[in-house]
Amino acid sequence: MKKKLLSGLLCAAMVGTLFVGCGSSADTGATEDAGASTESTDTASTDAEATTDSAAGGATGTYALVPKSAGNPFNEKEADGFTEAIEAMGGTAVVQYPESATADAQITVIESLISQGVDSICVAANDENALQSVLEEAMDAGIKVCSVDSSVNKDSRAVHCNQAGVDEIGLALIDAVYDISGGEGQFAILSATSQATNQNAWIDSMKSYMESDSKYANLELVEVAYGDDESQKSTDQTQALLQKYPDLKVICSPTTVGIAAAAKVLQDQGSSVKLTGLGLPSEMAAYIGDGDDFSCPYMFLWNPIDLGALGAYTSVALVNGEITGAEGDTFTCELGDYTVVSAADGGTEIILGAPFKFDPSNIDEWKEVY
Amino acid sequence: MAGKSGRTIANTIDKPWKKVILSWEGVLVLLFIAINILCIAISPVYNATNLLRESPKYLAEMLLLFPMAYLLLLGEIDISVGSIVCLAATMACMASNAGVPFFGVVCIAIITGLACGAFNGFITIKFRELPTMIITLGTQIVFRGIAEIALGSGGSISLTDSSGFKLLNGKIGIFPYSFFLIIICAIVFTVIADRRNYGRKLYAIGSNAKTAFYSGIKVKQTILIAFIVIGVFAGLSGLFLTSTAYGANTTTGKNFEMDAIAMAVFGGVSNMGGKGKLYGAFVSAFTIMCLRIGLGQINVNSQVILIILGLLLICAVLLPNIAGMISAKKRTAK
Repeated sequence: MKKKLLSGLLCAAMVGTLFVGCGSSADTGATEDAGASTESTDTASTDAEATTDSAAGGATGTYALVPKSAGNPFNEKEADGFTEAIEAMGGTAVVQYPESATADAQITVIESLISQGVDSICVAANDENALQSVLEEAMDAGIKVCSVDSSVNKDSRAVHCNQAGVDEIGLALIDAVYDISGGEGQFAILSATSQATNQNAWIDSMKSYMESDSKYANLELVEVAYGDDESQKSTDQTQALLQKYPDLKVICSPTTVGIAAAAKVLQDQGSSVKLTGLGLPSEMAAYIGDGDDFSCPYMFLWNPIDLGALGAYTSVALVNGEITGAEGDTFTCELGDYTVVSAADGGTEIILGAPFKFDPSNIDEWKEVY
Repeated sequence: MAGKSGRTIANTIDKPWKKVILSWEGVLVLLFIAINILCIAISPVYNATNLLRESPKYLAEMLLLFPMAYLLLLGEIDISVGSIVCLAATMACMASNAGVPFFGVVCIAIITGLACGAFNGFITIKFRELPTMIITLGTQIVFRGIAEIALGSGGSISLTDSSGFKLLNGKIGIFPYSFFLIIICAIVFTVIADRRNYGRKLYAIGSNAKTAFYSGIKVKQTILIAFIVIGVFAGLSGLFLTSTAYGANTTTGKNFEMDAIAMAVFGGVSNMGGKGKLYGAFVSAFTIMCLRIGLGQINVNSQVILIILGLLLICAVLLPNIAGMISAKKRTAK
């Protein structure tokens, strides 16, 4: 009998712990949700106003962002920019990171957002096509869908917010490799995952420039390695590249995680191999400089805060009916005037601007920013 | 009396309903109810419609639960199923894109799963001294590797014609087809485990493989069948997963094996073999699903949800053991 009592008590304690454990988060969640539901009724009324007065730029609904993964500084800055812009306009921002950097995990998160009845979903896709089914479901439920940073296919979105044109990035990167290597020799690419949409597009663009322009004829791309956007794997892949190709001159890493890992390896080993690519200034400041003590002469990136904000303004414009995502639509926001243009995949996109160059002259100023 | 796993709580029971409530499965049912009440309380959008709409991915995962429970009952494990799901989904997509009719696509996915499962099972029974954890760790890498090669540099394939798969993703009312499939599987697998010859063999081998062997049970055959069954269900799971994503990629089915094992262990199936009830695993799977969906709806950070699930799992494993330890001490004191 005592045993029964004991196990009964233990079970009760376990259930109790669960309640208490969830209780704290539940409280904030419930109040937030209460806020959200009142706000969504507000949205209904503002929507009605918006149709009569389409110039209204305010936001009163709930706008969701689904980044690629947690723990990626670029994604986090993007989320900051998104949240700030939405809140400045008076809306509620929901940022939901998937549990891992996979499309499956993003599907789970988006399903949950559909249940919550958010007004818009802005997604940085881990796979171009895998989200189609769930995003179509979202659009059927009246939710406005756009992608930012890494696109979903044209049937799954109203419009894509592109950080920079694919060709502009491809050209900037291949020119950097050309310049740093002195115009000839071996170089390697250290990318994210093998199916990352944007990295693959940039690499393809670099390859097509190499084929079409004889200026790059003496450059040899020896390998495209994949560090899967994991620091340790990127480090291992960099070391493998150094061992396999003793004549390697330049490594180009078009991903923030990869370039930071490679920069550390090259600088720690005092390697003569130089690095360029796309990286975060705050993470790369220690490695950018002239001379042999630094591994990276210069690199590129756009402003992830602005990119997140562009995603936010686009979401609001879609919800307010200022744009539908059709080619030629225009809207004005804090960042400037934007026009919807046709994208390479047959859909439409909004381009933030050209990639920005970080070199020893400006890195100290930018490393404080992001 | 508290046995090896400590799951059985009392030896002399005068009231059978008390036994049911105080068993681990009874506790799970209470926990399931408690979690649903909790979710309704914290999430304003937690209702049957939304729950079932969000469920297909979890249901695809649950297809692996019952065969995985069989393997655990045998004292074996298969951590390659996630990769089999990926490979089967990849093959199905490629076949579909090549113009194979949908029935053929279904067959290809199932045959792929069957072949992978048979391969695992064959190695296991041929080399009994190797732990299956290591064998299937190897095949986990091999199967996903094959899928990655088949997928090529893009690492992703999408269906050009998804009409057949859309059919699979259909619903009766608000219930997705896979929901009914899970219910049928739960009944069939439970009946086989509790009432049929094969089920008795599972428990016998899991409790003591040598004794079972000398009692004339075909140990190797039983193990091989269990591996083939899980392979086939991994193929099916791949099909249902493809129908929710209209395609496959290199991360399809990632961590499914661990989720299936977690659901089974949480349901009281011992990974040491021979102990546990299938309906416990069934209830635990739905408990975990409801908790994940409910917490997801109030935007609890995904990582925090994982932590909560991890802690729950540890509690589930510790609880009966602590209870068993304390009662054992009491006995020696007497």
